[in-house]
Amino acid sequence: MSTRIVVDPVTRIEGHLRIEAVVENGVVTDAFSAGTMVRGIEKILKGRDPRDAWAFVERVCGVCTGIHALASVRAVEDALKITVPPNAELVRNLMYGTLSVHDHVVHFYHLHALDWVDVASVLKANPVETSKIAQSLSRWPKSNPGHFAAVQQRIKKHVESGQLGIFANGYWGNKAYKLPPEVNLLAVSHYLDALEWQKEIVKIHAIFGGKNPHPNYLVGGVPCSFNLEEVNAINTERLNHVGSLIKDAIEFVEQVYIPDLLAIASFYKDWGAIGGGLENYLSYGDMPTRGYNDPSSFFLPRGAILGRNLNEVHDVNPRDLDEIKEYIPHSWYKYAEGDQVGLHPWKGETEFNYTGPKPPYEHLNVEGKYSWIKTPRWKEHAMEVGPLSRMLIAYAKGHTDVKDLVGTVLGKLNVPVTALFSTLGRTAARGIETQLLVHEMKATFDKLISNLKNNERRTFNPDSWEPSSWPAQADGVGMAEAPRGALAHWIKIKDKAIDNYQLVVPSTWNASPRDAKGQRSAYEASLIGTPVSNPDQPLEIIRTIHSFDPCLACAVHLYDPSGKQIHQVQVN
Amino acid sequence: MKILVLGIGNILLGDEGVGVHVVRHLEGGGPLPQGVEVLDGGTGAMVLLGPMQAADRVILVDATMDGGTPGSFQRLVPRYSSDYPPTLTAHDIGLKDLLDCYYLMGEEPDVVLYAVTVAEIPDLDLEMSDALKEAVPRVSAAIREELWAMAAEPMV
Repeated sequence: MSTRIVVDPVTRIEGHLRIEAVVENGVVTDAFSAGTMVRGIEKILKGRDPRDAWAFVERVCGVCTGIHALASVRAVEDALKITVPPNAELVRNLMYGTLSVHDHVVHFYHLHALDWVDVASVLKANPVETSKIAQSLSRWPKSNPGHFAAVQQRIKKHVESGQLGIFANGYWGNKAYKLPPEVNLLAVSHYLDALEWQKEIVKIHAIFGGKNPHPNYLVGGVPCSFNLEEVNAINTERLNHVGSLIKDAIEFVEQVYIPDLLAIASFYKDWGAIGGGLENYLSYGDMPTRGYNDPSSFFLPRGAILGRNLNEVHDVNPRDLDEIKEYIPHSWYKYAEGDQVGLHPWKGETEFNYTGPKPPYEHLNVEGKYSWIKTPRWKEHAMEVGPLSRMLIAYAKGHTDVKDLVGTVLGKLNVPVTALFSTLGRTAARGIETQLLVHEMKATFDKLISNLKNNERRTFNPDSWEPSSWPAQADGVGMAEAPRGALAHWIKIKDKAIDNYQLVVPSTWNASPRDAKGQRSAYEASLIGTPVSNPDQPLEIIRTIHSFDPCLACAVHLYDPSGKQIHQVQVN
Repeated sequence: MKILVLGIGNILLGDEGVGVHVVRHLEGGGPLPQGVEVLDGGTGAMVLLGPMQAADRVILVDATMDGGTPGSFQRLVPRYSSDYPPTLTAHDIGLKDLLDCYYLMGEEPDVVLYAVTVAEIPDLDLEMSDALKEAVPRVSAAIREELWAMAAEPMV
């Protein structure tokens, strides 16, 4: 018997994600991903001063804010041939590290952990045993029996209040949950610690970017000035604060996040063989150390892997009109040259063409157009983007730290390298990357301090700030690695104003519909073969979709074979 | 007493961004009592927990689609996320969830919500509708009045 499952809610920020999956004999046999993203940003930007674009694009996504601003200023700088001073590069890398590390930790504990951790089971735990486990895993101070007993009481009170709120949508008690009560209590306790910790780390954005959640960016540099003695500038006191936040981040990641990841993963090793999906991985790379135009200097390398062949990393050139193209045979747009062609983003068009049913509806016509997301392809290949792609490309390029960390994680879990190509691998790669990034933040911070001590204070390059110095026409591309994957903004500047502006965001790569050849994108491909033990509680589907860290909220609808909706679930 | 006035919403989505427009209006409209911080919370979610918990009281300004007259507003004191009027927040961790985080972290939120009614959200538009443009100074004035009234109260 086959059942059809759908994912569909509304979010204020980026739109929503809807997945229709066909489940036969307890296994997903086909899947269709449809999404509504903020679209038409180019219409708002056309005719504006390119130096202002970052402030608008920063608002297209509520979870990636700063990274869109970064991609935007890079696109303008690329078009106008502006190089930023070394300190600006370092500050941007610190902002970047903060964003990713914060996002990854919040994803693990607050968006993904409850797919693996049963909150209801916490009440059955023995806090003394939890304490023993905690102390065997790390030297995190909050690990005595009294602490865990107090956490257990707080959860009990919360559950008894009937105001489950954030925990309301869990499938508590589902047999797919495998952790013993004591490990569940440990994880929930760290869920609370992570809530506290995440409040602190983001202060780095406010220190360098003036404010949060929407920090300031600047074409040509960063909008902050250093003066170690000046009260209103970034002075010694503020820098010391940044230094201590980075130190705390290293401590939290190494003593809490990574030990939890390994402890939880050890009960779910079977997920090292589920949810792999596509075999192609793409990363633009990020954290330049010798300028944006020298990708060989990037801490997170650029490249593409095809067919899971880790012996070869292909070069990626987003400026090449033949490499990245967006297709729309299944997307609600139309192209002047017809819907079968692919367009490079510099030639991108945004003409809406909604042909779907009037909402609310039960099913999409997956034979025709069924999504607001276009389908990007790299050299015609469907590519997965995200931390797994970044770590695989770094690994394949021989990045020593990545090879060591990946080796350690695989060793501790006693799983083969092929386990990386999975839902578990995606979740583990995010943790590995976080550990890598907190240390790189420390190194970046030390470089910044050393520059300042040597009286190198420049943060802004004014050479091409004035529009009078700009050419009549200029094209640029701003690439970045958002926490959830490869992000790029393509800009065309004409007569000092924006003429065209196209975004290809990570969820476009991962969540897009099929292309003209019928090739699935990452979400659709990853769900094939996923077991669903209880169709009323499609926990397994959620695990795999969440492993991508979607920037779209989702809900699950279940259908019986006749297409009648039998169930609807909001997924958190 | 430290008070945070927090405007929430996406200014790229027309009326949906009314909370942000209100706090911008409030900030630009003359002096506020000591201890008041005004924050454009935009589309942020989890990152707002820090500034919220650092304040003794939070005044939230947000859009609601409650079926009322566009541009009208209510002053509410939600205790739990379930006390919230229907908003568009369905993001993985939304503003409502932040209220629950207080309880989980052993704290109780002191939150006042100014919920401004909007009718529909356009695809992408920097402009608000006339009804909401007109509402911005009214909501801003009401909040300003509340802030000064609070400042005049004796410290408890």
